[in-house]
Amino acid sequence: MSERSDGARRLDYLAKVTGRATYLADMKLPGVCHGRILRSPYPHARIVRIEVSKAAKIPGVVATLTRDDILDHPALDPYYGPVFKDQTIVAVEKVRHVGDPVAAVAALTPDAAEEALGAIEVEYEELAAITDVHEALKKNAPLVHDYVKVPEAGFADLAELRPVEGTNICTHFKLRRGDIDKGFAESDHIFEDTFTLPAAQHAFLEPHACIAQVEQGQRLTVWSTTQNPFVVRTQLANIFKLPVARVRVVVPYLGGGYGGKVYPKVEPLTVALALKAARPVRVVLSREEVFHTITKHGAVIRMKTGVKKDGTLMARECEVLLDTGAYAEIGPRVAKKSGYTAAGPYRIPHLKIDSMSIYTNKPPAGAFRGFGVSQSAWAHESQMDIIAHALKIDPLKLRLQNGYDENDTFVTGERLTSIGFKQCLAEVANAIGWEEKPETAKDRHVKRGKGIACLIKATITPSISSAVVKLNEDGSASVYAGTIEMGQGSETTLAQIAGRELEIPLERIQMLGVDTDVVPYDLTTSSSRSTFHMGKAVQLAAQDVKHQLKRIVAEDFGVPPEQIGFSQGKIRLPESLLDYREVMAKRFGMPGGTLVGQGQVKTKTVDERGEKTTSAFWFVGAGAAEVEVDSETGKLKLLRYVTAVDVGKAISVLGCRQQLAGASITGMGQALFEELVYDNGQLINPNLIDYVIPSLGDMPQKIEPILVEVPHKEGPFGAKGIGETALIPVAPAIANAIFDAVGVRVKDLPIKAEKIFLALEEKRGQGR
Amino acid sequence: MRDFEYLEPTTVDEACAMLKDYGGEARPYAGGAYLSIVMRQGLLQPKALVNIKKINELKGIRFDAKEGLVIGALTTHRELETSKVAREKFPIFAHVEREVANIRVRNVGTIGGNLAAGEPLTDLAQVFMTLDARVVIAGPAGKRIIPIEELFLDFYHTSLGDDEILTQVIVPPLPPRSGIEYIRFSSSSVVDKPCVGVCVRLTSENDDMLNTVRIALGCVAPTPLRARNAEEILSGKRLSPELIEQAAGAAAEECSPTSDLRGSEKFKRGIVRVLVRRAAEKAYERARQG
Amino acid sequence: MKKHIRLRVNGLDRELEVSTGATLLDTVRDQLDLTAAKLGCEMQVCGACTLLVDGKPVSACSYLALDADGAEILTTEGLAQGDKLHPLQESFMEMGALQCGYCTSGFLLAAKALLDENPRPSEDEIREYLAGNFCRCGCYGEILQAVKRAAGI
Repeated sequence: MSERSDGARRLDYLAKVTGRATYLADMKLPGVCHGRILRSPYPHARIVRIEVSKAAKIPGVVATLTRDDILDHPALDPYYGPVFKDQTIVAVEKVRHVGDPVAAVAALTPDAAEEALGAIEVEYEELAAITDVHEALKKNAPLVHDYVKVPEAGFADLAELRPVEGTNICTHFKLRRGDIDKGFAESDHIFEDTFTLPAAQHAFLEPHACIAQVEQGQRLTVWSTTQNPFVVRTQLANIFKLPVARVRVVVPYLGGGYGGKVYPKVEPLTVALALKAARPVRVVLSREEVFHTITKHGAVIRMKTGVKKDGTLMARECEVLLDTGAYAEIGPRVAKKSGYTAAGPYRIPHLKIDSMSIYTNKPPAGAFRGFGVSQSAWAHESQMDIIAHALKIDPLKLRLQNGYDENDTFVTGERLTSIGFKQCLAEVANAIGWEEKPETAKDRHVKRGKGIACLIKATITPSISSAVVKLNEDGSASVYAGTIEMGQGSETTLAQIAGRELEIPLERIQMLGVDTDVVPYDLTTSSSRSTFHMGKAVQLAAQDVKHQLKRIVAEDFGVPPEQIGFSQGKIRLPESLLDYREVMAKRFGMPGGTLVGQGQVKTKTVDERGEKTTSAFWFVGAGAAEVEVDSETGKLKLLRYVTAVDVGKAISVLGCRQQLAGASITGMGQALFEELVYDNGQLINPNLIDYVIPSLGDMPQKIEPILVEVPHKEGPFGAKGIGETALIPVAPAIANAIFDAVGVRVKDLPIKAEKIFLALEEKRGQGR
Repeated sequence: MRDFEYLEPTTVDEACAMLKDYGGEARPYAGGAYLSIVMRQGLLQPKALVNIKKINELKGIRFDAKEGLVIGALTTHRELETSKVAREKFPIFAHVEREVANIRVRNVGTIGGNLAAGEPLTDLAQVFMTLDARVVIAGPAGKRIIPIEELFLDFYHTSLGDDEILTQVIVPPLPPRSGIEYIRFSSSSVVDKPCVGVCVRLTSENDDMLNTVRIALGCVAPTPLRARNAEEILSGKRLSPELIEQAAGAAAEECSPTSDLRGSEKFKRGIVRVLVRRAAEKAYERARQG
Repeated sequence: MKKHIRLRVNGLDRELEVSTGATLLDTVRDQLDLTAAKLGCEMQVCGACTLLVDGKPVSACSYLALDADGAEILTTEGLAQGDKLHPLQESFMEMGALQCGYCTSGFLLAAKALLDENPRPSEDEIREYLAGNFCRCGCYGEILQAVKRAAGI
């Protein structure tokens, strides 16, 4: 049922159900030309020669773009990237993955653009391609990048990360704690397992798109499907050597993001074409092109854990190899996050963790909902059950025994506060009926089982969000916030926060669209950070407006400040109530005027007590699955799934439940169906028929989202974050349920029927 | 997509003549479920599409006591799925069609187009095979009628000539005491293409002996095929669990699955084995109920 | 080459010039400025481009505009009667059956076609009918509830 905390309907809903919401590809701009990209057919090759003269002569073609247009150009630095500058607008000396952009054209019609692509001549010299992380790490392996540029200034949290010269190691994150040898020596049992998962697709239904226009001959405007317009603005300003003020990025509603639309994607190329064509250019990627643009990191994780016979975790040595593809993108941060969380939500005194992002000749991997923790949790939650079963300890008990309590120390040495971790475990255990065995199925070859999994995750810290709230003369408010509405309901949540703080109804609040010319700086809409950071900024901005109203009342109405209060959208004085409208009219002498309030949130890596804070707040959650396995075919059916996340405070109950259920469904796809399959660097399934995502027909009878609320004192009304958490435990919860049902352990995702089938066959063969 | 001529004949003869004129560079076009994908990917670039959707003699489903169910080639999957006469005489079609592709493809894709595409990942063809269906093919030289097995030569390759059109599928009436079951196995989502699709039809006219045994396997060879060794094991016998298991094993050996995205060869053979057994058990149960 | 077609879109008669290879989706989006139907997968599997042709849901991305000659087309923009929303539009909003909204147009039209054909479907019937429309944000549970609510179940 609809359970919005204030009964209000989401602000974007009416436009979306009436088909009037304008997404990027729906936008029409007069005179816009069609941009198309020529892409490499080889995973690794030197570009010997490119010839575009025939293409340029095709009627309707207004511009072509190759490396000749971007190298040694006085007004252009072609190298960019969110961490390392290892990407170029189009390939320069070589192509590094199938689909790597080599050239581009802009034409008056789509057909002319298509024809022009066919007329570009490229001569390649094929090079040996690195197709997996093991090959990439071999001594004398061919290098994907001979040299990687590191910018002088970048993200504060990644400052220490550098590529390892002379290797394909893009970043190597190390975490050491205690004495690993001592830890293993003191353990009664040691478990060593390797877990793997493939590269995957975000599969948002809306592909990447961009329109670029140089207005009045000097001002660059870019409409883009980006989750972080300000970072894109900065990157474009750097590439095209423009002051940031002359670059404007505008973002409409996105048709899904899930991390796949952060950092520059098609914007630099679209802008380059628009500059060369001296006309606006529109680039909308085809579905296949999206497959070649960005992926989720596949990984190989070797996890060695020492435990005492009573189940106490003593030591963990872990090696995480993340396949980062041809370009670093935000891979370095993924490696760091994966590394931090390899110990899971557990107290482990001795740690030796090495987490690496490794270059290969495949499309770049980057941010994906869960951000490195999906990978580490697949390993740590699967292994917890391996340990539990070996020691004959209940898997839930083992987790509770070792799991974090409030004020425990995280692997970084910092104190964890506001973590409802054990509450989440308790909730899912209760909801799935952990103590009861599943009902026996009618068919004798169908077996049922239950499994549980949990996690801890951090949010980007430090980070910045700013907001402005404008009070209009009639007491209505306009909110300027750079958070992107990509389905998660942020637009409405932020309006609700402003409304709650100012105590005015949602109908009287206008959220302004995201335009970097208009809204103040926000780092990114990702990392499940917006409710906490931008929500707080909006709350502070609204509070600023209230302070100003209070000052006006004190000055212009002569009331002592301590007698001025706020109540139900009015100002409460000892003898009367004042509308905001009346206060404004008094100040400005007429129905007119504006009060502008601003709020800024900048999180730090050291808190006000001087203690280290790697994360402004923590995400904790758990999931439990009940499955049914057909032991003759290996086919799995998910009967029930329950998920609990500590959200701090639910600003919108319906919105939170949507996020939990929605993330669980993507988690199910990653657990059971989804994998990018490569053959010598060629992607075999670059489409949504062969890359299979969950449908309504695959849904279990019930997905139950449970909200746990342990408020955070710095979040708006105690709220933390929610977008990614529920995705992470799905795969290990299912794998653990399969073990419970049929006694086989699948360590490689996705868990397709064949893996269970072959494991059962092996088990039968061994007479077990 | 490259530009093409769009021709709209109103009779079969007209259509075949047009196809002949273009000498292999034209294609009959109905729902376009298959053609639209290959044309967009540039794999096929016909100079003309011959739109056959206005040819009335290709439409409709009717039942005739002697001939059986006559399905016009332009019948859509959805029409076959919901047809009253088809449901009454051959409820198996509704059962199979429910799982084919999705509602949109079923509204537009036709039975004729489905068979003419020669798609190896198929459902319907196996069912037609077990029912001894025949297809009617029209060409400039006239009509010919062939058993459905003879339509499929290789993957995406049928015995239809460049100037021929599949016009009807004729499904003879089922003898009494027949039972049929189709089982589709997906290695991932329910809406994924099938990994293996098995159909078994058993007729036991007297005393529980199996007079007619038809076992059709799909997705495990370049074309759908009859598992004749498996059929032979059961034919003329009384069914027993051991015999079914033997037949299932034979069927698993008779096909030639390829290892691909949807499963390894070993796995697919294993699934064939399980599905043949289950389908045979169900078909037998239905046959005995009359 | 261009051909002339006549069709009725959201109750309005339209006459258009289309090239032979033009899809119904491109025609509706570019020539008629009805952009609710979206391109998602280009191969009839995702449902974002769903339009109703003579009441039946089709993948407009793979439907030739020429084949729509003489047909009645319904797009999401035509669901509401003036400012009176279709019960499905109301129930989708009420139950939170959308997040990013990209799949919503397709789901609304498919669900309308279902309810027009089968006014009181079972939950299994709804799942089956709508299994061919993808929602990556994962609103399947809410969508199911919204369709049931609109059907008065």
